[in-house]
Amino acid sequence: MAGVLARCTRIPRRQLGLVGTFLNAQQPKTYSNAPPEGKKVGGNLSDEDRIFTNLYGRHDWRLKGSLQRGDWYKTKEILDKGADWIINEIKVSGLRGRGGAGFPSGMKWSFMNKPSDGRPKYLVVNADEGEPGTCKDREILRHDPHKLVEGCLIAGRAMGACAAYIYIRGEFYNEASNLQVAIAEAYQAGLIGKNSCGSGYDFDIFVQRGAGAYICGEETALIESIEGKQGKPRLKPPFPADVGLFGCPTTVTNVETVAVSPTICRRGGTWFASFGRPRNSGTKLYNISGHVNNPCTVEEEMSVPLKELIEKHAGGVIGGWDNLLGVIPGGSSTPIIPKTVCDEVLMDFDDLVRVQSSFGTAAVIVMNKQTDVIKAIARLISFYKHESCGQCTPCREGINWMYKIMWRFVEGNAEEHEIDMLWEISKQIELHTICALGDGAAWPVQGLIRHFRPEIESRIQKFKCVAAN
Amino acid sequence: MAKFFGVDKVVRFFQIVRDNGGIRGSLRALYRRDELKSGTLIGEDKYGNRYFENNMHFYGRNRWVEYADHVGLDYNASQVPPEWFGWLHYKTDLPPYKDPSRPNYKWMLDHTENMTGTRDAYMPYSTTRPKIEAWKPK
Amino acid sequence: MLRLPLIRAAGLSGCRLGATGLHTTASKLQAPPEQIEVFIDDIPVLVDPGTTVLQAAAKIGVEIPRFCYHERLAVAGNCRMCLVEIEKQIKPVAACAMPVMKGWRVKTNSDLTRKAREGVMEFLLVNHPLDCPICDQGGECDLQDQSMAFGNDRSRFVDINFSGKRAVEDKDVGPLIKTVMTRCIHCTRCIRFASEVAGVDDLGTTGRGSDMQVGTYVEKMFLSELSGNVIDLCPVGALTSKPYAFVARPWETRRTDSIDVLDAVGSNIVVSTRSGEVLRVLPRLNEEINEEWLSDKSRFACDGLKRQRLLTPMMKVDSKLQPVEWEDALVAASRALQQAPATKIAAVTGKLADAEALISLKDLFNKLGSETLATEQPFPKDGAGIDLRSSYIMNNKIAGIEEADVVVLIGTNPRFEAPLVNTRLRKSYLHREQTIALIGPEVDLTYEYEHLGDSAEVISQLKNGTHPFCATLKNAKAPLIILGAEQLGRSDGSKILAETQALAASLGKTVQAPENWKVLNVLHSNASQVAALDLGYGSSLAEIKAQNPQVLFLLGADDADIKREDFPNTFIIYLGSHGDQGACIADVVLPGAAYTEKNASYVNTEGRAQQTGTAVNPPGMARPDWKIIRALSEFIGVRLPYDTIHDVRGRLEQVAPHLVRYGDIEPANYFAQALELAKKTGSFASDPLELKQKTLDEFFMTDVVSRASPTMAKCVQAVIKQRQAQL
Repeated sequence: MAGVLARCTRIPRRQLGLVGTFLNAQQPKTYSNAPPEGKKVGGNLSDEDRIFTNLYGRHDWRLKGSLQRGDWYKTKEILDKGADWIINEIKVSGLRGRGGAGFPSGMKWSFMNKPSDGRPKYLVVNADEGEPGTCKDREILRHDPHKLVEGCLIAGRAMGACAAYIYIRGEFYNEASNLQVAIAEAYQAGLIGKNSCGSGYDFDIFVQRGAGAYICGEETALIESIEGKQGKPRLKPPFPADVGLFGCPTTVTNVETVAVSPTICRRGGTWFASFGRPRNSGTKLYNISGHVNNPCTVEEEMSVPLKELIEKHAGGVIGGWDNLLGVIPGGSSTPIIPKTVCDEVLMDFDDLVRVQSSFGTAAVIVMNKQTDVIKAIARLISFYKHESCGQCTPCREGINWMYKIMWRFVEGNAEEHEIDMLWEISKQIELHTICALGDGAAWPVQGLIRHFRPEIESRIQKFKCVAAN
Repeated sequence: MAKFFGVDKVVRFFQIVRDNGGIRGSLRALYRRDELKSGTLIGEDKYGNRYFENNMHFYGRNRWVEYADHVGLDYNASQVPPEWFGWLHYKTDLPPYKDPSRPNYKWMLDHTENMTGTRDAYMPYSTTRPKIEAWKPK
Repeated sequence: MLRLPLIRAAGLSGCRLGATGLHTTASKLQAPPEQIEVFIDDIPVLVDPGTTVLQAAAKIGVEIPRFCYHERLAVAGNCRMCLVEIEKQIKPVAACAMPVMKGWRVKTNSDLTRKAREGVMEFLLVNHPLDCPICDQGGECDLQDQSMAFGNDRSRFVDINFSGKRAVEDKDVGPLIKTVMTRCIHCTRCIRFASEVAGVDDLGTTGRGSDMQVGTYVEKMFLSELSGNVIDLCPVGALTSKPYAFVARPWETRRTDSIDVLDAVGSNIVVSTRSGEVLRVLPRLNEEINEEWLSDKSRFACDGLKRQRLLTPMMKVDSKLQPVEWEDALVAASRALQQAPATKIAAVTGKLADAEALISLKDLFNKLGSETLATEQPFPKDGAGIDLRSSYIMNNKIAGIEEADVVVLIGTNPRFEAPLVNTRLRKSYLHREQTIALIGPEVDLTYEYEHLGDSAEVISQLKNGTHPFCATLKNAKAPLIILGAEQLGRSDGSKILAETQALAASLGKTVQAPENWKVLNVLHSNASQVAALDLGYGSSLAEIKAQNPQVLFLLGADDADIKREDFPNTFIIYLGSHGDQGACIADVVLPGAAYTEKNASYVNTEGRAQQTGTAVNPPGMARPDWKIIRALSEFIGVRLPYDTIHDVRGRLEQVAPHLVRYGDIEPANYFAQALELAKKTGSFASDPLELKQKTLDEFFMTDVVSRASPTMAKCVQAVIKQRQAQL
């Protein structure tokens, strides 16, 4: 409670500080200004550096409350600085896409900032947060929707889009209505719509609710879904930046990426870049779920050690750190890492790639030693089997097959050589599909085999013994 | 002695010629049957076929049939009725008229020869549809 | 949806999405862009930008396996069979969808490529039933062939012992297509065909993942005049031909190249036969005519060749037709022709008459001193009518339709009169922004068109510039007029023709299209019509009725609605293949050969001569038509001077040389003269333009073969049933 109070009292100060940095940040900054050798490790984000100050919904989420928290502060001036300034600021900040792939946002937005060929451009915000374990966008949507609305305006300005479509997951009913209210408030306040914020720039925001398909979180499937078709990924090329929504140039970005952009513009790219290791800069919403004492969503610096994240924010693993079995570090589609790796791994893009996993959406799923890890992964495969769109062969047939094998592994009703076969099947799916869902389904299995092969083998042996007697 | 010089063969030849009705009869028999034989007439069926036996010939050649005269050269083995067929093929040594155990029911059909290749041959009707169906004028 | 209206509005027809993989035969209009060099298996090849890897590989003869890719359909890229390795890229790319980049080194046979193919093949077979022995696709199955070539030699699918394979309920999609949906590999070729080429959005997928099914959403029939093509497109045995089910294996059949004559398009076909029986008809590739499609009537009416056939000559004995010997029939026919004066004999030819029979019949009648030879479908004689070829053929060719930007259809329903002309129109509508307008009854053409009215007056209004559509026509770079031949049979047929010629001429002045662009096109529906007009069949049924002939010779004329009451004292000789209307009223019936049973020439609506092949012998005592006429001439005593088919064709060459130049089109050029001669005043009849084939059920039975076909009868029933169900 004290922490909450502290946060509340700090708000005005934070805004003052914000103005200060904002005024100081006059000269354009580039990458060369950023420290070449940055931090080695992140963590201990101070409260005044938090972007999402209403993450837990303890304050008013509506326009009045968000204005108090500093949203929509001098948005017009940001808009007036022009698209190039915004994109440059984002580039300086080193912001990488928060949806899982981690593509540098500044570069992605700059693809759109080409001279128009007559077609309108669109910004599509991917709020179809369906990844098991991930629940960061949800908090933004329901507790800080104005951050997203303002972000849409700024990102839309940066890429010259005429409208933003926010594709929100069908299950997020309350979130969608909060967002809709926030958009309505923004329209009424003249913040968006014709002559947004008085900048002379016209910008509309539409909300489109999904119908409950995980695959619609894939950018091209999402575009198809907005167009009213079956949510099935398109072939790339042409990329959405070329031919996207309704055949027009489109950029699809994650909610968090968009929602942090106003703060980056206000406080400056270098401020954002000062967090985390180089190339993994910024703050990030982490979701910690599973066998921890206090599952939570928390904003923390990039490159925070996984152990620190769990111990400090989630109250530690149930049964103590030594009772840890493994962690799925970035949402269900990333490979699991065992405790030995968890001990020293940092939560950022590069370090998790080093340990053959992936940062994903930073949705940490903790499993302690009481977990049946094979069953856990099998359950994930059930999810992917159910959510495969069925368009392309390796995903449609391959995941179904993996599903069958995985559930036999859960019982142990298999041969040991089938572990290698499963590995090969997952390799046959990986990289051979139209979209990344196939890869996402193959990785958990690969992670399991990589780190928990003896577990599967012993289960098979046990089943054989039981069968023999 | 006569045996030594083969005279008995000559004697038998003449005997056979005589049995077949002289030179002309023998020539006719040769023309019809391509062989000249004589034996004991065992019986004659109702179609006019005569059955002979001569045990001088070895087994397999010692029973034969001379087909009815009216069929001329159009004889064939299916003209032998089943009751004589048995005797002819050594299924029994009793000719039909001496065999008491032969069934003889009222419903038994008269024997007919095999009509294959003749106009009376049995032709089953086709059960398949014609490949081309003709138009039938109304 | 397919036409991307937004892109169109922005004036971006050359957009990348529209350009990738959409196959058009006529892409000459754009200037050739600079070519780029890529390497396929280290062989350099120069290709246009935007070419896919698969097309580039095909250019040097490297075939990349594929299931979902089809050059005439949009790219789906979902089977993943065509994955190939590109040097310096981790991910294999789908060759069917990926445009090549400069300097790419494609490896179509590397370890990675082969591994990827093997993996996809294995996945496809995981849920594919092992029922090849009872599958009709066996022997012509892409999956079979490619698993032989690219698959693994053994299975590791042990889960068959635990959970088995997927099974999918079969769908009932009508009397033509048999579905075994368990065999489906979800390539979506059928779906894309239905929505892109056939223009009916009946097919689609439901469910997702391994529960995905291809079907019609709700239980309904897949009703299209082109539905049979999905059978050819299906790479596996999921969609097979219902009438052909369990009939034959491809290796048992003999294939004969031939020509379809059930419409005037002259689609190229292959006739599959076994032991003297026509089993099925398949399309044959001809880019200029039918591409690789075939209409359902042409494909499935072949069982009509086995029903209602005339097998023996017949003669009226005791006022009833009785089978007789050839000699008796020919004697009776020749006696009738001998006894009649030259002015009292007449002949009518039907839809399916071939050029050889037409010339023989004409020569015979000319020798007898008569010129009263009519085609079943009347064609106006006034003005240039039948004298100048330009006024009765499709001058701009079928493939030329694609290059038009504005098309005016007058009194025709190409969807049913010539389905493969309609596919061209639809293709240009989708990919080339073609504007199409229609004068005549409103029908469903599978694409949007501007309906200008159903009165013939509209033609004059267009000519005079008083119609609102004239603004569009005036700006047209390559306008095209397609006139339905059916309208020329009206009482004001000559007026319609003359006005259309005048309209075409006025449009021709403003054309900026390529050279030899011809605005006026006539779309016939009878396969024999162009040949008959070429050979000078100039009379009409009305004239014959007025003449009150003593002898009427019907050469397969079954559709002209000739009634016995109109010819009460006429001796009618019928020569044809099927017992239909003509044979019913005949006094002598001479059995002729159908189009699969003779080597004969036909001229399609473009004026292109093509020949059919003898797939089977004529059944029973039937003979090729020209031979019968030749025999009849001998009986009459005016022997025709030809004994072999070559002699007949020699005679054809004398009369009209283009009739034996098979495959070529003799262009007709005397438009100005035709227009000059056509200047004839008159007025339009007040009744609106009418069509015989307006809905799908009217499409299936239009000639003796399709009327005799049980399959076509089932189709009609299915369409009617479906319509009633929807009411």
